[in-house]
Amino acid sequence: MSRSHSSSSAAALPLPAALQGDIAVWIFLLAELLAFGVFFLAYAFARARNPALFDAAQAGLDRQSGLINTLLLVSSSALVAHAVAVVRRGGSDAARRAAGALLGAIACALGFIVVKGSEYAAHFAAGMELSSSTFSMFYLCLTGFHFFHVVLGLAVLAVLWRQTVAGVYRLGDVNGLESGAAYWHMVDLVWLVLFPLVYLMH
Amino acid sequence: MSGVFTKSMARNVFYGGSVFFFLLFLGLTFDTVRALPKRDMRHNITPLVAEGKKVWETRNCIGCHTLLGEGAYFAPELGNVVARYGEEGVKAFITSRPAEGIPGRRSMPQFNLTERELEAITAFLKHVGTIDTAKWPPNIQG
Amino acid sequence: MQYASQAVAKPYFVAAIGLFVGQIIFGLIMGLQYVIGDFLFPAIPFNVARMVHTNLLIVWLLFGFMGAAYYLVPEESETELWSPKLAIVLFWVFLAAGVLTVIGYLAVPYATLAKLTGNDLLETMGREFLEQPLPTKLGIVVVALAFLFNITMTVLKGRKTVISSVLLLGLWGLAIFFLFAFYNPVNVVLDKMFWWYVVHLWVEGVWELILGAMLAFVLIKITGVDREVIEKWLYVIITLTLVTGLLGTGHHYFWIGTPEYWQWIGSVFSALEPIPFFALTVFAFNMVNRRRREHPNKAATLWALGTGVMSFLGAGVWGFLHTLAPVNYYTHGSQITAAHGHMAFYGAYVMVNLTMISYAMPLLRGRQANSEKSQVLEMWSFWLMTVSMVFITLFLTAAGILQIWLQRIASDPQPFMVVQDQVALFYWMREWSGVIFLAGLLAYLASFFVGGKPAEARAS
Repeated sequence: MSRSHSSSSAAALPLPAALQGDIAVWIFLLAELLAFGVFFLAYAFARARNPALFDAAQAGLDRQSGLINTLLLVSSSALVAHAVAVVRRGGSDAARRAAGALLGAIACALGFIVVKGSEYAAHFAAGMELSSSTFSMFYLCLTGFHFFHVVLGLAVLAVLWRQTVAGVYRLGDVNGLESGAAYWHMVDLVWLVLFPLVYLMH
Repeated sequence: MSGVFTKSMARNVFYGGSVFFFLLFLGLTFDTVRALPKRDMRHNITPLVAEGKKVWETRNCIGCHTLLGEGAYFAPELGNVVARYGEEGVKAFITSRPAEGIPGRRSMPQFNLTERELEAITAFLKHVGTIDTAKWPPNIQG
Repeated sequence: MQYASQAVAKPYFVAAIGLFVGQIIFGLIMGLQYVIGDFLFPAIPFNVARMVHTNLLIVWLLFGFMGAAYYLVPEESETELWSPKLAIVLFWVFLAAGVLTVIGYLAVPYATLAKLTGNDLLETMGREFLEQPLPTKLGIVVVALAFLFNITMTVLKGRKTVISSVLLLGLWGLAIFFLFAFYNPVNVVLDKMFWWYVVHLWVEGVWELILGAMLAFVLIKITGVDREVIEKWLYVIITLTLVTGLLGTGHHYFWIGTPEYWQWIGSVFSALEPIPFFALTVFAFNMVNRRRREHPNKAATLWALGTGVMSFLGAGVWGFLHTLAPVNYYTHGSQITAAHGHMAFYGAYVMVNLTMISYAMPLLRGRQANSEKSQVLEMWSFWLMTVSMVFITLFLTAAGILQIWLQRIASDPQPFMVVQDQVALFYWMREWSGVIFLAGLLAYLASFFVGGKPAEARAS
């Protein structure tokens, strides 16, 4: 994640502001990644103890949906990154183009929610619960926890879109946009680990 | 990412994060309460067991003992005491406590329970011993 | 002292310290009963000494929180307290309720107390930390609501700062969660599950908000660091608290009959619960290092830094040691729990209250800081209490490890009482540490009476 200032191509990095803001953001993102990381480790541990159960249960997952969701999230992240780049470069129609990209990202996020939601609907209809098995517990907890983050991310993206349309992010003051984008990229990154780990690897 | 993490951003993360986790906790609590009947043997909570819980509370047994590991650490775990000593053994122990205590030893009060109260507390402890506690305690000693 | 109504905090602080002394006396009684089993039996059985010890702790900490609120809210809100008279009335009501309750515990058998105080109407007695008779519990609700009303009205009519808002959130949360004390179902699993809403969501939840706000206030005053910085850090810390502590409640749901997925969820999130305490420590040291003034109250600075370190060690590290389900399976309900509990409560809540009192009392008595002699004695009391508490914790940890080995792991597990006899040495050493702790507390009391010229800010 580059710390170069948006408006210039100067090689010098800005000195950290006296308020040490970045440390606080990193604490959050690191704490998030730590939580997911620990869950992933726990999953790996549980899976190692019961490979047959996990392999059998994994076969019941819808990989196609998983693949679609991966594509949706990656596209969404790309659009968000594009929006940030557009705003940084500046220009008269930067806000409009960035807002468009953000809308695209929001559409992708909604798509993820719909696809994942229908997956859950099918699971619950078939009687899957948290307590059904160790696999179901991990599957529902991991994907559910991530799902909540996507929903929260949707709210974040919506706020970013609103602010962009209102012209808030310009003249180098893009910190809010970049922070929201960092959060969304983290959510995407988590899925990129989760999908192969839970859906694919056996 | 450049720039400064402002106080208002921190505030927004606080609101978002707290609400998020509060909702998650609520959801899990619902699921837990829904799943409890399979584990808590509630169909065996007879009026006698309920009376026993009242005896347990009004004598403040938890002030010396643990029940499913929670309480005070002065005296033994009682969640599995019926398995350990049997119903008659438990009743005999309670009734035989000397009112003046045992010199130099940790002493249990003599509660002068009625026959009914003895039946009740034993039934209560026996019921607690049937709850699915994920195989806790590790052994009969508690 | 900037506002006259801040003076109502003083009786609260005095009562807090007085009840603290009572708590420690009963703690020493219990410690002795651990090794001389029938000490004071049957006049004061162990469980009665224990309920006095724990209830005094909770009540004195509450007096401290209230005093802290009455002191800092007018200053933060830049307006006088809404009703100083109400604060004084509530003080006497709460004190009377507390004293009467303790007398009730000591004077009559608990079952008699239950009959006399209407436990048959609504059975709320007989649970750990919630032993209070129904009238006392109702009194606590009334006092808490009136107190919250007073403080909230003050904030509403004045300036709203992050510190006062976070404090309010913590205090309202405290009151709301206390309502679960009235929910006592016959179903033991439900009983335990919701009992933790009072205990865990207090000390690993909303109480941390109160702690953060109090510490932030003292640090602003002592270091002079910009409010924006301190208040931002406060948000970070309380976010970490709730994010880890809410689902962290699950570490109390491992073995009480609740579904087994809590073993995973509770382990993961409670393992992260030390992080806010770590952030708190880094925060406190950072602010003091970046201070813009040399405040004459060195003792308060020491207490503030000590709070960070000891809460991280006691709540964070010792908590972590036994929070993972596979470990907790063996340590649940052992002396490890007692070890953690003592250092956590002392490091976090005792120390933050003493920090606040250390900062505010001199001001309530008309000076910026106490004399050099008084502060030195106070700092001695800090070290005596803190180091002896570390030893109490270490001895109980040793006792716990041995207990767990003999009672739960060894191939021929021994009965509880047999094991207790074998760890008696550690209980004796714990008791001696407790005596040193009392010495520290007495030194602390003495420091209030040491006179001399108040220390002044050095021109730097």
